[in-house]
Amino acid sequence: MTLDWHPLLLSLRVASAALVLVVVAGTLTARAMTGREFPGKDVVDGLLVLPLVLPPVVTGFLLLFLLGRNGPVGSLLERVFGVQLLFTLHAATLAAAVVSFPLMYQSAKAAFQAVDRRLEDAARTLGAGEARVFLTVTLPLAWPGLVAGTVLAFARSLGEFGATVMVAGNIPGETTTIPLAIFFAADAGEMRAAGAYALLISVVCMALVVGLNAWTRRRVPGWRRGGGRRA
Amino acid sequence: MLRLSWLPLLALTTCGSPPAHQQGPVRLTVSAAASLREALTEIEPLFEARSPGTDLRLNFGASGALRQQIEQGARVDVFVSAAERPMDELTVRGLVDSATRRVLAGNELVLVVPSAEPSPVRSFAELASPRVRRVAIGAPASVPAGEYARETLRSLGIERAVSGKTVYAQNVRQVLAYVESGNVDAGIVYRTDAAVSGRVRVVAAAPPASHRPVTYMVAVVSSTRYPREARALGAFLLGTESRSVLRRHGFRLPETAPAEP
Amino acid sequence: MGAGGVLEVRVSRRLPDFVLEVDFTVRDEILVLFGPSGAGKTMTLRLIAGLERPDSGEVMLNGRTLVSRERHVWVPPRERRCGFVFQDTALFPHLDVTRNVLYGARLKGEAARERLEHLLERFRIRHLARRYPAELSGGEVQRVALARALMTDPDVLLLDEPFSSLDLETRRAVQDEVAAAHETWRIPFVFVTHDREEAEQLGDRMVFLRGGRQVHEAAREG
Repeated sequence: MTLDWHPLLLSLRVASAALVLVVVAGTLTARAMTGREFPGKDVVDGLLVLPLVLPPVVTGFLLLFLLGRNGPVGSLLERVFGVQLLFTLHAATLAAAVVSFPLMYQSAKAAFQAVDRRLEDAARTLGAGEARVFLTVTLPLAWPGLVAGTVLAFARSLGEFGATVMVAGNIPGETTTIPLAIFFAADAGEMRAAGAYALLISVVCMALVVGLNAWTRRRVPGWRRGGGRRA
Repeated sequence: MLRLSWLPLLALTTCGSPPAHQQGPVRLTVSAAASLREALTEIEPLFEARSPGTDLRLNFGASGALRQQIEQGARVDVFVSAAERPMDELTVRGLVDSATRRVLAGNELVLVVPSAEPSPVRSFAELASPRVRRVAIGAPASVPAGEYARETLRSLGIERAVSGKTVYAQNVRQVLAYVESGNVDAGIVYRTDAAVSGRVRVVAAAPPASHRPVTYMVAVVSSTRYPREARALGAFLLGTESRSVLRRHGFRLPETAPAEP
Repeated sequence: MGAGGVLEVRVSRRLPDFVLEVDFTVRDEILVLFGPSGAGKTMTLRLIAGLERPDSGEVMLNGRTLVSRERHVWVPPRERRCGFVFQDTALFPHLDVTRNVLYGARLKGEAARERLEHLLERFRIRHLARRYPAELSGGEVQRVALARALMTDPDVLLLDEPFSSLDLETRRAVQDEVAAAHETWRIPFVFVTHDREEAEQLGDRMVFLRGGRQVHEAAREG
């Protein structure tokens, strides 16, 4: 049996593209949401985390409604740019990004909240503007949490099925990512192909998690190793 | 007081568990090709009226997927396939009773487009044009209509040109839904499916020679617990009442008394 | 180094339990803000540094308005030139001593290097230059924090109970360090403490805060 490698490549492409969106959006949103109070903050926070608790199929359904040719976003794109998002790899990417966003957002928020606010204040009194405070103090201190969120979001994107199947369709070699390939192969009774893909994706995800664990254990920065006084 | 209150409970337990084969409804599970949904749903009460005590459970899906479920041991009594191949595969394995296998009906493959807006598609050949961005057909591995559609595309010499824009659906009804919503430019379905929807327009029929004939098969599943009732259903489906329903829904019918070809 | 500095503070700010109202002026001296915990001492420093906004009033440093609600002036903390030594120091845990001290350098290149060397020498922390804060003792941490705050050439130095977690002996030593630094830099120091002995030891002048109000002001005798 020769295995079609397209699904793996497509999954990696989808997950990588989604990751770029999710890391940027998740980090900035988390930053904006920490250390700020405004009315309705709980509701906004709930909305941002919603895709994590909703069944992915519901997220997919909403996206299908929005992106469809007669949907509010889909019809706009069609009229203005003449493009159709549904049943393309972009739709798969968008679905993966929406579903994995809360993982990045939650991790980043927890990481930012754990950063001592006085350190940021100290940087300000030392003449640092907000951008420098963020880049030189907040980000390095929140780093491990951000990396964990990134890996989780990537793994989630790689395995996204429920929302993807609604909006990406099943176009072999174009939108059929590994989870879709597994589903359609099993549906057609091609159990060996389904099993091979399942094994493949499990190995990739496992490698990611093991790699993350190894990284967090090995790459402990000097200042975290300390703790005792050497003098 | 205490003794009294036990009485109804006792009554319940003694008559609540009669031997299954004597009383209570016989539940027949019918796995049928998705394209038969409307027709079979209409036939169901007709049959139940004829056979009191028999209750039909209809399970619709792609014939290949239904075959798959039966192979995996799903409790099914009667299988109605939209093609010969899934039925053949089950027959070879002895999973359906070959003595009960019959041709139920035939169907036609057509090209449909959304009826809401003017469509550039007027023929199968135009599917190859770059103006057509998405075409939906059933996944050939599990949906017979998809298999037939691919045969037609191949015999018209446009299979390769269309393959990069083909969205494979899990069953014929999903193809129809994709076309209805306008999310694909065209789809290939059975004529009977096209007739069900008010939101698609048939623009062409596939030349009969371009694909193997669409043949619906019915057979009793070997593992059924109710062989008698299952055979009765099989016979009923081939009978006059059922035939008139099928005809009304646009199926073509075998000409003479049903027999294995 | 500096000469003729003057810090004028007249602000009020609503807090959960009371309204903080302070009004004092600091020249080239060490003003001790003294009072029980929760009297508004830390908030006063944060208002001066621009880490909080007052509800009304203004803060002036050497004739420059840092904040004024009435005149709608707001200078962000990074432009205020207020050195700040936090309670428990707030050294950056991920930077070594050198990079902590250099963080607020206004000078560039060689000049910054020279100033750094001078401060490491001055506060006897040169041998710790490559260490991370977690590897320092309590007294060392405070000396690094002082060096870091003074590296910015501040016009005023604000110290928020910097020695509250030190043992008595270390505390004495760093108090002397602060007094000596004031002799050298000659800029207004505002020193917050709830320890009377420390207040009397260091302060040229003392403002006593309770429940957000200045209840007493005293100058060192003699």
